[in-house]
Amino acid sequence: MTAVRTHPQGTTPPPRLPVREKSGAREHGGALSPMLTRLAAERATGVLERERGSLYLAEGRVVHAESPLAPGLDVLLLAHGTLAPAVWQDAVGRADEEYGAARLLLDAGRVPRGALELCHLQTVYDAAYFALAPSSSPGHFHYGAGHWLGALRPVPVDVVERETLRRRELLDRLWPDPLTDGAPLRRSDAVAAPTPTARQSAVLALADGVRTAPDIARELGRQAFHTLVDARRLAAAGLLTALFPPPRTDRAAAVPGLPPRHAFARSTGTAAAEPSPGITLPRVNDPDITLLKRLRDALEAL
Amino acid sequence: MPGIDECLLEAMRLPGARGAALVDWTSGLALGAVGEFPGGDHEAAAAEAAEVARLTAEQRAFTPDGYDRHQSPGGPAGPDEPGGAAGVDPPVEDLIISNRDSYHVLRFVPTSFDSSVFLHVWLGRPDGNLALARIRLGEMAGRLVLG
Repeated sequence: MTAVRTHPQGTTPPPRLPVREKSGAREHGGALSPMLTRLAAERATGVLERERGSLYLAEGRVVHAESPLAPGLDVLLLAHGTLAPAVWQDAVGRADEEYGAARLLLDAGRVPRGALELCHLQTVYDAAYFALAPSSSPGHFHYGAGHWLGALRPVPVDVVERETLRRRELLDRLWPDPLTDGAPLRRSDAVAAPTPTARQSAVLALADGVRTAPDIARELGRQAFHTLVDARRLAAAGLLTALFPPPRTDRAAAVPGLPPRHAFARSTGTAAAEPSPGITLPRVNDPDITLLKRLRDALEAL
Repeated sequence: MPGIDECLLEAMRLPGARGAALVDWTSGLALGAVGEFPGGDHEAAAAEAAEVARLTAEQRAFTPDGYDRHQSPGGPAGPDEPGGAAGVDPPVEDLIISNRDSYHVLRFVPTSFDSSVFLHVWLGRPDGNLALARIRLGEMAGRLVLG
């Protein structure tokens, strides 16, 4: 027996470290949801319900997506007056299996086909980004369930998955801290910060220490992902911080005109003596700390 | 009324057209694409074109006079007003990039809802006609979303 010669006497080789085959999984799709890949292969029709959203499939292709975190087609179309609320309600009310709401709106000439396709596609990718986010519980698929909107422009499953992965990487490139995606946002004072763009200014104006990026998106009638992008860019510029841990859901904090800091202090009572974690965090934009965080993230990414 | 695909196919009828796509410049997503694109990958081309489009749309230097006044009458507090902070009309109409063998024309699409999309057409230089492409793309952008 000479095979043990490579190791010291009396020891066994250490077990190989587990390595996740990232590249392989990505090439074959299904990196996000093996179930979705299988459903696409069997050309399934129905709805896949996951923790943070649902994907509607028709013959294995994505026809619609919804997430509580992404504003729906109705929000986008009604927010700036593309459609009157009554027209939308009427179409939704009359929609059935054969004539979806989309077809009713198009047939009645209420909205141009290009505009509806464009707006709908945007909401599909937007909601799918959240629906395909890593989840702690398995998804469920209900065969046969259709959506009252009806099919407009189906998208292959692998295209939606690829785009979702690309969006994750895009956000990570802009600013590697995902906290601004879901935590309440607050403006912060930055030294020599770049001037925000017009679209970013609108996001900043609504960052009040209570609203999250998806809340702001809904209020502006914008896609949630667009607001995530703006929030990350603003965080990178030092103009915006996420409150972590999020302040307790206290309606006092939502009083307009009252800085959340005071509302929080008053509601807890102890904050005056000892700063609570939610209040100390804006200091994270201290240039030194920011630099250290970026250094840490870069080292972790090696 | 044309949908996205009809609009892109119409763009492909421009002289010298090699590829046409409808791209979101915030995310870099190609919402539709026909024909061929540099490098053979329309998704990568869309992401790169989106970056250029975004920078152009965000620079104040390229914004026409009075754009801010016209776009957000309520100032920073304008999101509640119809059409307020939405920035419904993009500040820039189009963007032209030329190289030795081809032209790229990026035409921003104004929409009545919030979006950030442009039409991207790749034209071969020998047959491409920039003046014609600009006019036609403007008409197509209008028809796509206004019917």
